[in-house]
Amino acid sequence: MAYEPPVTDYDEIVENCTCAFCGCNCDDLDYLVKDGHVVGVRHACRLGASKIMEDMDQRLLVPMIRDENGDLVEVDWEAALDKAAELIAGAVRPIFYGWSETSIETMKHGIRLGELVGAVLDNQATICHGPSLQAVQNVGYPVMTLGEVKNRADMCIYTGSNPMNSHPRHMSRYSTFPRGWFRQRGRFDRTVVTMDPKYSDTAKMSDIWVGFDQNGDYGFYNAIRAVLKGKELQQDVISGIAKEDIVELAEAMKNTQFGALFFGLGLTHTISKQRNIDMAIQMVTDLNKYTKWVLMPMRGHFNVNGFNIFMAYEMGFPYGVDFARGYPRYMNGETNTIDLLTRKECDVFMVIAADPGAHYPGGAVKHLAEIPVIQVDIHWGPSTEIADVVLPGSFIGVEAGGTSYRMDGVPIYMKKAIDKPETCRDDEWIMRELLERVQKIKEKEAVASK
Amino acid sequence: MEYILKNGIVYDPANDIAGEKMDVMFKDGKIVSNVSSDAKVLDVTDKIVMPAGVDPHAHIAGPKLVVGRIYRPEDSRKGVTPKTDVCRSESGFSIPSCPATGYRYSRMGYGTVVEAAVPPLEAKHTHEEIMAIPNIDVPPLPLFGNNWFVMQYAKEDRIDELAAFISSWLKIVKGYGVKLVNPCGSEAWGWGMNVHGIDDPAPYWDVTSKEVIRALSKANEMLGLPHSIHVHANDIGHPGNTPTTIGTIDCVKDITKNSGVRNQTIHMTHLQFHIYNGTSWRDVESGAGDVTDYINKNKHVTFDVGQITLDETTTMTADGPHEYSLHALNGLKWANKDIELETSSGLVPFIYSGKSPVHSLMWAIGLELFLGTEDPWQVCLTTDHPNAGPFIRYPRIISWLMSNERRQEMMDNKEVHPWAHRKSALATMDREYDFNEIATITRAGPAKIYGFKDRGALTPGFNADIAVYDLNPNDIDPSREPTAIEAAFGAAMYTIKDGQILVKDGEIVKVVPSHTIWTNVKGFEEQENAIMEKVMPDFNRFYTVKFENYKVHDHFTPYPIVVDVQASK
Amino acid sequence: MKTITLTLKKKSPISLEFDELIPDKIYNWEKADFENYDVPVGNTRFPLTDYFDIEVEGAAEGPEEVKMILDGDMGRVKYIGCEMSAGEIVVNGDADLHCGAQMKGGKITVNGDAESYAGREMEGGELEIMGSTREFCGCSYIGEWRGMSDGKITIHGNAGKQLGECLSGGEIYVKGNCDILAGIHMTKGFIQIDGDVTRWPGGQMKNGNILINGKLGVLLEGLVFDQIVKDPEIEGKNFSGKYIKYTGDIALNGKGGLYLNAEKNRDLL
Repeated sequence: MAYEPPVTDYDEIVENCTCAFCGCNCDDLDYLVKDGHVVGVRHACRLGASKIMEDMDQRLLVPMIRDENGDLVEVDWEAALDKAAELIAGAVRPIFYGWSETSIETMKHGIRLGELVGAVLDNQATICHGPSLQAVQNVGYPVMTLGEVKNRADMCIYTGSNPMNSHPRHMSRYSTFPRGWFRQRGRFDRTVVTMDPKYSDTAKMSDIWVGFDQNGDYGFYNAIRAVLKGKELQQDVISGIAKEDIVELAEAMKNTQFGALFFGLGLTHTISKQRNIDMAIQMVTDLNKYTKWVLMPMRGHFNVNGFNIFMAYEMGFPYGVDFARGYPRYMNGETNTIDLLTRKECDVFMVIAADPGAHYPGGAVKHLAEIPVIQVDIHWGPSTEIADVVLPGSFIGVEAGGTSYRMDGVPIYMKKAIDKPETCRDDEWIMRELLERVQKIKEKEAVASK
Repeated sequence: MEYILKNGIVYDPANDIAGEKMDVMFKDGKIVSNVSSDAKVLDVTDKIVMPAGVDPHAHIAGPKLVVGRIYRPEDSRKGVTPKTDVCRSESGFSIPSCPATGYRYSRMGYGTVVEAAVPPLEAKHTHEEIMAIPNIDVPPLPLFGNNWFVMQYAKEDRIDELAAFISSWLKIVKGYGVKLVNPCGSEAWGWGMNVHGIDDPAPYWDVTSKEVIRALSKANEMLGLPHSIHVHANDIGHPGNTPTTIGTIDCVKDITKNSGVRNQTIHMTHLQFHIYNGTSWRDVESGAGDVTDYINKNKHVTFDVGQITLDETTTMTADGPHEYSLHALNGLKWANKDIELETSSGLVPFIYSGKSPVHSLMWAIGLELFLGTEDPWQVCLTTDHPNAGPFIRYPRIISWLMSNERRQEMMDNKEVHPWAHRKSALATMDREYDFNEIATITRAGPAKIYGFKDRGALTPGFNADIAVYDLNPNDIDPSREPTAIEAAFGAAMYTIKDGQILVKDGEIVKVVPSHTIWTNVKGFEEQENAIMEKVMPDFNRFYTVKFENYKVHDHFTPYPIVVDVQASK
Repeated sequence: MKTITLTLKKKSPISLEFDELIPDKIYNWEKADFENYDVPVGNTRFPLTDYFDIEVEGAAEGPEEVKMILDGDMGRVKYIGCEMSAGEIVVNGDADLHCGAQMKGGKITVNGDAESYAGREMEGGELEIMGSTREFCGCSYIGEWRGMSDGKITIHGNAGKQLGECLSGGEIYVKGNCDILAGIHMTKGFIQIDGDVTRWPGGQMKNGNILINGKLGVLLEGLVFDQIVKDPEIEGKNFSGKYIKYTGDIALNGKGGLYLNAEKNRDLL
């Protein structure tokens, strides 16, 4: 890495800004602002800093509609919003997907729109930590705020997660390195364990690496639980780990004062999916008979947890909520985006602050290419290539204020630091406009049918 | 807009009106003593008219609730209703969604509900949910009993600083009063432990529950807050906890009340869970007699009951260790949510059944508390929603209180296990509440306990928060007709809030946003500034958010009712 | 006896929902009632006649006198027989999600494959699938620890993942093979699988019994060897031959039984 001199040429510093990247929601960032742009970011990791500073890179600046030649052409806001509203109002199986990189305030209008037309509202959990939520629903949710770990934990386990790459400040700000009330020496007061088939960068930072087999997670945690119940293990090697090591690890976990287990998509996406988490949660529950243990999913986007929380308090279910029949339904595999797309049921798709074009399995993207897609986002991405209406939004936490929920559920109001490009609009405004326009169409339809 | 509710039979205990046939008038959202001839007449001849209900303790908004909703889709599914022209869809039985919570309280004639446990770090979340709940006003109570700063001040008896801390924090989180949950015990849960009794110190803190309770009570009175300290005592749900409970109430007896708007210096919540005599679940017996004896002799205490309703529900409390022990008891899915520097909390689904000896005894103990407390101004009706049962069961509890016949019948025909009468005095208690006493324990009393000066009574100048029930008190014999009582209190004929008709004939006809009620202490600014300066270094070191992002910004309370209090020494 | 025949003439890309078309609700419907009926499709309702030719023969006094025949590919018809308590439904083709879910009585025969959630939360009756089925057959609702409580599901083909999840009673019989985690979290009831099983049957089970006549891929540590049994009698049924019996899942202090055909699973002896 080349040396980069510090940024000294700026007009003002905006302090205590919140990072709009991962679920760490670091709220201690200082933005160095010059000429209405963020030219430097202090305290952020490289992922967060580059997202904030490169805000104009491939930026969507104007509303667009795809014309009959298949090209996206610039239109005015009026035309773009009307076109989107018309598509939404006429849909039979609409999905509004995304939401994890926008504010709760935007979701408030989005859910009203969803209820009005009978849409499916879903977020990135459907392709990320959905299995975690299913496991939580089956066996429980022993969590904490991250400060509990910072102040108390003497053992941290990362399983199926590589925060050194995905959540770079997680270890330094919350779990491993910081000095806490009861852990005055920081890193030296803690044992760090990584459980991952891969010898990841996080594993390199850890005291212990448990490299169990791929798809071996369920059997591995089952064995730890059996040991905790006092069972003599039968097999010499379980999921690639020697039985002596499993026994030793189980003992160490029992003898900590405060343990925290962080799990990532490595656990949610192996063969037994939600049951890996299911088993890990039950293991943590068991461990509380001996000492204190908690766990936490390593949520990816800065407001992916926020959408789950928001939907739960509004409608009682965290994601994949189907309003088609005039009441909320939640049924995994039926009311989720990927299933509806691969089954080719969805007929209008609105994506808000997400990039399904980049993240979805091929079958799902293929169907997206065949149906009208409305995109509300700030950057040009694979989803723009399949979008029929593009509505350029604004950057939460930089150009617009908004509420978000950190991975541990701590709510943070992400303040605005600079103005958005003149031609863009706030997500909140866009969603409210769409709601009002669809309401008008529906009112007209109601009058006509009478 | 002027209205006149004509010829109702009015129960307004705060104004000593007990079943008088009279008119109630209101104008521009307030009760008035006369209206012009243009007033719109609502004929409620021979129907019961009361102030709108005030629930002094329920869990309706905030992080715990959302954990419940996220992890119990099977509960959410139970209460699903389609949207209507007026209402959005509802969901949930024991943990209804926010819109459902507002609609259901409104249908029962309620206007104000206290959210009883707010972790300050996540107060924004609570306020977001209050924004999503329509039709009821909500005063939230922030948690102070296991706060690290509080424990330090309590240990060193620095009452001035503690008072400054509280008055600052009520502003920061927009809270109404001081809540304590298992003081020192929830902190001990940070290590998977608990404390036992009021003299057992929190690990590493060298401060006891008694010291924390007394310090917070003194600080509360120093500020003269409208509500007293609100205490969920130690040892909840443990056989043998009666002495802890009486000890808790008694330990603040010498502290002088410094408020003219309330009578008590301590409010004990969900007392039913705290009065079990014996040493184990095998030899457990009711301690209600001991406790009501004490309460009948001491006026510095009020309480709400936490009545068991015999339903499948969701327990949730900031008492983390208690929830883990409930999980150990029933094996159902356990959720936990510890908040840094502030509190723990947990949840477990729970199935209360009349077939279970223990649950039946708990049911009886709650009723004993109601019936054994002589002064109805000291007791409030709650289920500690959703812990002992969902709030939609209040009408059923009213029907039990008004009918000895029904209570005896439940014991006779085994709707509850014989432990209900074998191990409690319930079978010997033939007292029956009248409508005036019901009005006291469901609105006038709670309003007085919270020091509300704008609700809980039909006094001119008060908010026009009124409930009308389709019952003629001169016609009905509540003792014989519990089903009719339950039906009428479950579906108000009118619910009027700030002069607006929200419910008619049990159906929501109008949806309005809720107000957040919070306490703003004045005249303590200097002390507040000093304490903030002292707190900040530790705040920055041990919290994981910046102070700027910790506080609740004004836009989280779009419809505030700010109760200004002049701090006086 | 009333026979209602719905013959598919157009397959909708978006699933139709048939929860209102169960014998309990339609036993007294005439042909005209069906012709006037709009079926839920996505957020809308469309005339049933857009998709089906309808024949109604005979009369019924109650749901038990109804036989519904669904002819054609019902791969986009959800909730067939959902919550039905009596009568009979025959699907001549594949069935979509939730076929026989929350069924209380009566019989459903699927002469084809059934999508996921077949027989979810069944309380009684009989569901027979002549083909295969996918995930979560005979399971509970998500979050609910009380699953299928009674009745019988027979699958002539193969079953997918998490068969009989949270099973709390009743019986599931798979004649073909079965994927991972059959009987996960089960507390009661009986699962019989004649074919091979990939991995981990009986994970986190508390009680109930699973019998496997084929070869098992991977066994969990939570299941503890108990004994070799000959000609066992399980839940009132007799099986001939030698079986290896395990109990578990010990991680939950479970007392469930897992019987593996000893002949096919010699490596475990």
